[in-house]
Amino acid sequence: MKIICTICTFLFGVVVLLFFGWAYPHHLHYQEQYQLFLFDSTYVWEIIKQPGGVADLLGRFCTQFFLYAWVGAFIIALLLSMVQLLLLRLVKDGWFYGLSFVPSFLLWIFLLDENALLSGVWAVLLTLLITWVIFRWSKGWVRYVLLIVAIPLLYFLVGPVCLPIPVDSLWHGIHYYRYPADFPWFLWAASLSVFAIAGTFLFFHRAYHRTVPSMVLSSAIVATGMGIFVWKNSNFKAEKVMQYDFMARYQQWNRILETINDEKPNNQIGVTVQNLALAKHGMLLDHMFEYNQNGILGLLPDVGTDAISPLPTSEAFYQLGMITIAQRTVFEAQEAILDFQKSGRCYKRLAQTNLILGSYEVARKYLKALQKTLFYREWASETLPLLGNEEAIAKHPEYGRLRQMLYTDDFYFGDHVGPEMLERLYFRNTENRMAYQYLVAYYLLTGDRESLNHFISVTR
Amino acid sequence: MKKVLYIIIGTWCWLLTSCSSSPENAKQESELPQIYPDYLGVTIPVNIAPLCFNMADENALRIDAVITDSHGNSLHSQGDESVDFDLDDWHTLLAQNLGDSLHVTVSAKYDDGWHTYQSFPIYVSQDSIDYGICYRLIAPGHEVWSKMGIYERDLSSFEERPLIENTQFEGCVNCHSFNRGNPAEMSLHIRGPHGATLLRHSDGSVTAYNTKTSQTLGLCVYPYWHPSGRYIAYSTNNTNQVFHSADHNRIEVFDSASDLQIYDVEKNELLLSPLLKQDSIYETYPVFSADGRSLYFCAARAIPEGSLQLDSIHYNLCRIDFNPETGNFGNRIDTIVNAESQHKSVSFPRPSYDGRFLCYTLSNYGQFSIWHHEADLWLLDLSSGQSRSMTEANSDDTESFHNWSTASRWLVFSSRRDDGLYTRPYFCHVDDKGMATKPFMLPQRNPRRFYRDRFLSFNVPEFIIRPTRFDGHKASRIINDKSRKVFGVRKEPTQ
Repeated sequence: MKIICTICTFLFGVVVLLFFGWAYPHHLHYQEQYQLFLFDSTYVWEIIKQPGGVADLLGRFCTQFFLYAWVGAFIIALLLSMVQLLLLRLVKDGWFYGLSFVPSFLLWIFLLDENALLSGVWAVLLTLLITWVIFRWSKGWVRYVLLIVAIPLLYFLVGPVCLPIPVDSLWHGIHYYRYPADFPWFLWAASLSVFAIAGTFLFFHRAYHRTVPSMVLSSAIVATGMGIFVWKNSNFKAEKVMQYDFMARYQQWNRILETINDEKPNNQIGVTVQNLALAKHGMLLDHMFEYNQNGILGLLPDVGTDAISPLPTSEAFYQLGMITIAQRTVFEAQEAILDFQKSGRCYKRLAQTNLILGSYEVARKYLKALQKTLFYREWASETLPLLGNEEAIAKHPEYGRLRQMLYTDDFYFGDHVGPEMLERLYFRNTENRMAYQYLVAYYLLTGDRESLNHFISVTR
Repeated sequence: MKKVLYIIIGTWCWLLTSCSSSPENAKQESELPQIYPDYLGVTIPVNIAPLCFNMADENALRIDAVITDSHGNSLHSQGDESVDFDLDDWHTLLAQNLGDSLHVTVSAKYDDGWHTYQSFPIYVSQDSIDYGICYRLIAPGHEVWSKMGIYERDLSSFEERPLIENTQFEGCVNCHSFNRGNPAEMSLHIRGPHGATLLRHSDGSVTAYNTKTSQTLGLCVYPYWHPSGRYIAYSTNNTNQVFHSADHNRIEVFDSASDLQIYDVEKNELLLSPLLKQDSIYETYPVFSADGRSLYFCAARAIPEGSLQLDSIHYNLCRIDFNPETGNFGNRIDTIVNAESQHKSVSFPRPSYDGRFLCYTLSNYGQFSIWHHEADLWLLDLSSGQSRSMTEANSDDTESFHNWSTASRWLVFSSRRDDGLYTRPYFCHVDDKGMATKPFMLPQRNPRRFYRDRFLSFNVPEFIIRPTRFDGHKASRIINDKSRKVFGVRKEPTQ
């Protein structure tokens, strides 16, 4: 009997692992890039002093590992399996065995949303853990007293998940979801299901007996039903967009070309990244019309005021050598993160742009913060000695090259990058072939033959 | 049991003494210490929080400081990163040395042992400073904002409290203003879907206003209270923003149109004057004189619509009469500082409350000087009409917004001298002859850690004479409620 339980939980964990690691990895990368976990006492205190702060802290701590999707998938699989196992400790009878998977499935569905935060899963897990400890070590009226005492304590530690009443004021300000105004219904459903299943079992537990067929059958029904629900709620379109953003972030130009050859992107971010990769390979002008284009919005979109679309665009600005524009775009994107968190990706890029522009003290500020992280620390420590070292920067393969492309003539720009900006960029350094490709592509996409002919005649 | 207690107490005492032992066998250095923030030779008010500091370089393993006075008193602190003086002992020492100087001897421990530097003075002014300052904390961004809010800080301790934060409503908050530092009369702007101007009246009530009228350009901004509390001067500005491609200054914020008006709090009506809403002139940053009978403001010749010749916008400091009894304006505008003739531009005029001086920011062009690295503070002597650069307070980087303490002896100002981007508040003493002292940065317990970890600018520091006791929850309920009282406009044209 125990072996069957172990196998079922293990299988569930493996499926979750494979789903997030193989089918949904870029959702995890996406989560990681919109937070910055600092090993810093002030940072920790600012989080845990809020209601739900302990769950939030644990969620943020785990999310930093999402930089590596398989590690993130393993963490999620482990947490969801633990939720199921803890509920199983409270609910042991046959038909209830299958139901013990329901909260984990609901949490899985919750996590399919890119704005759902891992703190919600930790909140359910910690609620179950403390409830189990109370049930394990107490009896009679002591148990009830402990449960009553545990509710306010749990509310402070993990938030309203411990008492799933859908009253907005109770949930408002608890960091379960990136949109503060939205109610996390699936998380609420998961916590409610824990209470419903455990409560029903405790009420009817004498009526049922554990049998292998009832366990297997109930598990199969729940797995099938909830599995379909998981699949239906998965957003693979968003996953694809996130993949393009991820590949641009890590400058995987070859992989981008392979991906666009498999399936031509038809969304703005995908097209922007596609054109960037083509330009990096010097193929933009010869091959751009073999793929979907979205006018100039697919080349260099206007800078938006959200946290998502500006990031891949800023990669294009950065690679082109438009460093001030890249800097502004990344700064705004970070400011637009809905739950006011900071971003390791943005801090890193802001450190780079400030370094290239010679704002060393500002760059130092970002680098010092990154030194308090787990995965950006090494890079930050390697970069710090470059500050103020003009010779080393000039020799640096990336920063030295980009410095050679910086605008030297000052002009004003706004949200829209026009051809005159690309032209100035190209004439600043005619070895900047990306600027050449982007400018010609711009004329081709807008059908401005006159300007194109003029530019070609000038550059001949 | 007693033995255990003695052991614990003994160990604790040993730990205390071992942690705070004075530097031994220190190498005597001939130079002054390099500390952060630079507090060497600064003048401070008697009621300021302890000037804790770090070694400027980050190689120091420990730092030790001893402050002595001429009466034989001393104060000692030692720490890994910073010295952190006891709050009560610090205030006692300062009170004992009013108008006198203190001497600070700094030692730092490096890999090769302790080094003791030449001692430096700190002067304790006889002029105390107001209770605190109020400021907005916001990232120095462009269009989008993350978490931000209005905060108050007790200057005699390290306590900072939020008045209101944008987690309490959707939007942003700015333009906090008090009548001569009195938080009973307060103005606050909310921007975004719940936009409003909040006015706190002397009876404690808070009202949300819609300040946009059919006869004005838009919402009222840049408030300044009349000393009587009856009027508030505002400007309305069509503000735009562009970015530099290759300039030390990153951003230009500029007006494509702007006018001035005065709001009569008692009658709920705006007082307009054709002289202050000329299409060919950009008028902005209105402030009342100390006696309330003049309105100072900045004015520049407008550039053609759509033009981006921003470096040709030069604001002068101007003045118009104002009669507080009738609410009427004078019929002529005087130019007090002709910055245009020097190809410079004036922003943020702030008269001292004793009527002696007017401090303003001078930059190369435009009116949004916080993004101009060349911007400096200037002081106009209102009795002689002479202006001079406040070189004692200025730095190579931006000095911008500033305000006087209610006794007109201290100036708080924003500066980007620390890292070139993040604005910090600095304070300097200004004597009755207009001479300023070396400024000091707002004290923190561990300044380097505090300022490095805080990715926010201190925006618009304003003195306050006591805690604001602003009920942010009540204010957010008012903000989130849709009802707004609409500004009226006085019907007959005022002259």
